[in-house]
Amino acid sequence: MKFAILLLVVLTIACVFGSVIPQGRTLDEYLSAYGTRSGALIVGLCLDDLFHSTWFLVLTVLLVCDLLYCNLSRVPSLLHRGARFRDPETAWKLSQAQPAGGGKNASTVCTVEQVPDAATVFEKLHMRPVSGERDGKKTLFAAQNGVGLWGAWVTHLGILLLIVGFVLGQATRQLYTVHGVPGQTLPVGDTGCTLTINDFDVSLTENGVAEQFTSDVTMHDPAGASESAVVSVNQPGKLFGYKVFQNSTGTAAKVTVTKDGAVAQEAILCAGDYVYVLDTPMALFFNGYYRDALDFGGMKADAFAWSTYYNGVYSETRYQAEGETAITTDSIRVTFSEPQSYTLLQIKRERFIWLVLLGGLVTLAGLVLSFYLQPRRVWAEQTETGWTVHGESQKGGAIFRDRLREAAGG
Amino acid sequence: MLKAESILFYLVLVCYFLAMALYFVFLATKKEKLSTLAVLIQLIGLLLHTAAIVCRGVGAGRLPLTNQYEFATSFAWGLCLVSLIFIRKFKFPVLGAFVAPLICLLIGYAAFQNREVKDLMPSLRSSWLGFHVSTAIISYGSFGVSAVVSAIFLIRDRMKDDSFWGRHIPAREKLDAISYRSVCLGLLFLTFTILSGAIWAEQAWGSYWSWDPKETWSLITWIIYAIYLHLRLGRGWRGKSAAVFAVIGFIAVLFTYVGVNTLIPGIHSYK
Ligand code: HEM
Repeated sequence: MKFAILLLVVLTIACVFGSVIPQGRTLDEYLSAYGTRSGALIVGLCLDDLFHSTWFLVLTVLLVCDLLYCNLSRVPSLLHRGARFRDPETAWKLSQAQPAGGGKNASTVCTVEQVPDAATVFEKLHMRPVSGERDGKKTLFAAQNGVGLWGAWVTHLGILLLIVGFVLGQATRQLYTVHGVPGQTLPVGDTGCTLTINDFDVSLTENGVAEQFTSDVTMHDPAGASESAVVSVNQPGKLFGYKVFQNSTGTAAKVTVTKDGAVAQEAILCAGDYVYVLDTPMALFFNGYYRDALDFGGMKADAFAWSTYYNGVYSETRYQAEGETAITTDSIRVTFSEPQSYTLLQIKRERFIWLVLLGGLVTLAGLVLSFYLQPRRVWAEQTETGWTVHGESQKGGAIFRDRLREAAGG
Repeated sequence: MLKAESILFYLVLVCYFLAMALYFVFLATKKEKLSTLAVLIQLIGLLLHTAAIVCRGVGAGRLPLTNQYEFATSFAWGLCLVSLIFIRKFKFPVLGAFVAPLICLLIGYAAFQNREVKDLMPSLRSSWLGFHVSTAIISYGSFGVSAVVSAIFLIRDRMKDDSFWGRHIPAREKLDAISYRSVCLGLLFLTFTILSGAIWAEQAWGSYWSWDPKETWSLITWIIYAIYLHLRLGRGWRGKSAAVFAVIGFIAVLFTYVGVNTLIPGIHSYK
């Protein structure tokens, strides 16, 4: 238990670091944001990709082992406790060991004496007693919610399934992103499949805000078969066993490179894409298409923003209107045209999601068992002056005691 | 409808602040009737608040649970509802006096947020939205109640055990049990929130868990309360230590709710 708590504390601290330190940046970014020493420490300790780091995985595996050990070792004692819980003899022993409010179990057993009618106490507590006899005296006994004893066990089982499903799913999943504009056919990672974007629609609300993004796509497998689907946000499609998600959108444009007056290269670039210009060391990076970014003496115009890099080193950023031509060298000219929206799709095959979901549901069931089916027992024996009623609730404590006293009118 | 919501919202503000004032006067003067009146006004506030939320939902044509204003008022609503349930269940009107400032703080925070109805971005247009956010509201409300009950527990010793406090504040053991109960309710609902969020994220983004700061912080909150339970059940942490822990847990809840949106950018920012 101590070890489990320690692990949970360490995991919590790790999660705090993982949420506060931006994840997945470059070393340079950490060095400039946190200084040389802290930046190097962040990268050295893998805090830059904490949730996928080996030490985080080790912590998770330790937790799984601890949970597994805890649950397996607990089965015999839980079965034993269940049997004892249903056995009235153990209840009598408990109340005899604790005459009127003292003793070791003082916090769990409550006794009310001189109760006129024990049957109504059981009725008020919604418990159905079994009658019996002890030393010639009439007795009543009821045990309720024994299954609640398994609450923590079931919760732990659920968490175990959930973590195992999550780790297996992450380790084996295939995840690809594809982005492009209608008419393009693009490869889907290393699957050998291609995806054709037949159509992409951005529907707007009355206020001109994006309401839904919808892509019409066809996937072709290496054997030549094809399957089509229409996917939108919150409505993924399924093609050849891959799930296709409408992830996001942005602007794309056509770039035309002319050399010596003739078209030498044409490409569709989505914002964030780059292309090498012909066989030169110059790469052309498309930043995006911006509203009213240009000002021609008070006349606003939309602009394509693009940057040039030589041998990977940033050179400059330009803003250029549609159809305008920029000259990069004497013989090479660059023109941007056809601004349009591109679609970004996520294509995924992930097994074990069912295990994660099952784990989640089992955890929920376990919590309900732990919290709302609290094992409790009430037993009573007739005396000359009425009934003596005892009650025990393992977790309900003070609240159950008050309820019992209220029901017994004590 | 939105105009009605606006009027109702101000009435709600008045009710909650009035209820808080009455609770305070009740504590100061120890006049029993004032507590009944304060609970009644809090209840009227809750009903008007419900009407305001319904009006906004009808006016906006969607569930009003998507931006900082809507979530702040719903959080206040959840806290008000859960506290009234606990006040009734445990005959504990003094709880109202301690919860009311928190409710007023939340509703005041909401009043300073942008109340304009904006169109939803595509990912929020899901049937999971209602379930996900309403379970979060109940969960946060329950954690709020547990923190307040724990705070009462912590200061109970300082109060003289005269007949007034003795009558109106349950015994320490019972306060401890009430706090525990509300943590249980909160944790159960937080589990619903996290699970429904994961199912929704899978549909919307193709990834049920992306370690986004909001997701991570809800997990942190969940683990903190799991630690609380283990310390309680396994190591017998009751009373003072448990109460301190419940208050810390609620600070994590508040950070998950306000801090993450404002301090750490992510896909949950409602921006
Ligand atoms: C939130 C719901 C949870 C509940 C109600 C719960 C309940 C319990 C209980 C009652 C015990 C045994 C205490 C005892 O009888 O000695 C226990 C032990 C333990 N719990 Fe949990 N737990 C929960 C969540 C978790 C989580 C999230 C983890 C870890 C991921 C965890 C890991 C453990 C471990 C490893 C033990 C120690 C078992 C042993 O040493 O026998 N539990 N828990």
